[in-house]
Amino acid sequence: MIAKSTVDHAAPALVALSSVLAAGNWYLQPERPGAWASALFLIGCMGLALFLVPRDAQDAARPGAGDSIRRGVVFAGLMLVMVLGLKLATAAGLIVDGDLSRRATMIVTAAFFVFTGNAMPKTLTPLASLQCDGAKTQAFQRFAGWTWVLSGLAFGIAWLVLPIDLAKPVSLVLLMTGMLLVAGQMVRLRLRRRREA
Amino acid sequence: MNRVFKALADPTRRRVLQLLRERPMSAGDLSEHFAVSKPTMSAHFSVLQEAGLIEAEKIGRTILYRLKMSVLEEALLGFAHTLGWDPNAPERRSRETRKGGRQRRPMKGEA
Repeated sequence: MIAKSTVDHAAPALVALSSVLAAGNWYLQPERPGAWASALFLIGCMGLALFLVPRDAQDAARPGAGDSIRRGVVFAGLMLVMVLGLKLATAAGLIVDGDLSRRATMIVTAAFFVFTGNAMPKTLTPLASLQCDGAKTQAFQRFAGWTWVLSGLAFGIAWLVLPIDLAKPVSLVLLMTGMLLVAGQMVRLRLRRRREA
Repeated sequence: MNRVFKALADPTRRRVLQLLRERPMSAGDLSEHFAVSKPTMSAHFSVLQEAGLIEAEKIGRTILYRLKMSVLEEALLGFAHTLGWDPNAPERRSRETRKGGRQRRPMKGEA
């Protein structure tokens, strides 16, 4: 796990770096102002979140909520820096292969799915406030986590090895399959609960 | 991560995690599955809690333990279980061999 002090320092640094990269991209590719404005808006939201979460905030209801927000900002910042950096390098002519930046962006997205899925079963709701059986909730979280991780891995591998024309539909099908499996399981559990009630 | 590996190294703790995969259970329910003393079980629960693999929650008078494993940790558990991973195994095996050796030693006067 990443040390708390590293996260505290890395979060604002990554926000600053990604805003510089977004501004650089806007300067080099002024024909896409919408994309860069959206990126800068997102970075602004991340900065605002960091500003609003005081360093030593202790929320009695959700202890460690501030830390998880900072960790989220670090992860999002890393993704943005990587993607915006590659876009900037391509626009500046440092990277000739245009597909590389697209592939890298998708692989970073896949890493996000894997990371999110991996953490899913670890996010626990207090048993007392659960609306359904703890065992069923746990089983669903595990199922969703595994499905998300495997879909993310398959998505990443598709973008890594397949030709670019084939990677897009295949990765979309893989991701949609994962989403549908999780949604289907959720609907199945809800229907069963309604029948039992 | 070291704590996770340490927690997964013990077969009793791995069995506890496997039982908790089915549903959240109290310390008493879990202890019924093992022929060890309550303090020993308590120590195992502490190691698992320190590693962040389980979480204890008080419901009324009962403390319920529930699984808190990420997908990666669960995959590691699966590997450890399949391979029967136990870092103390060579030491234990040599101890058992020594013990067995003593038992097989011929008595005085025997050929």
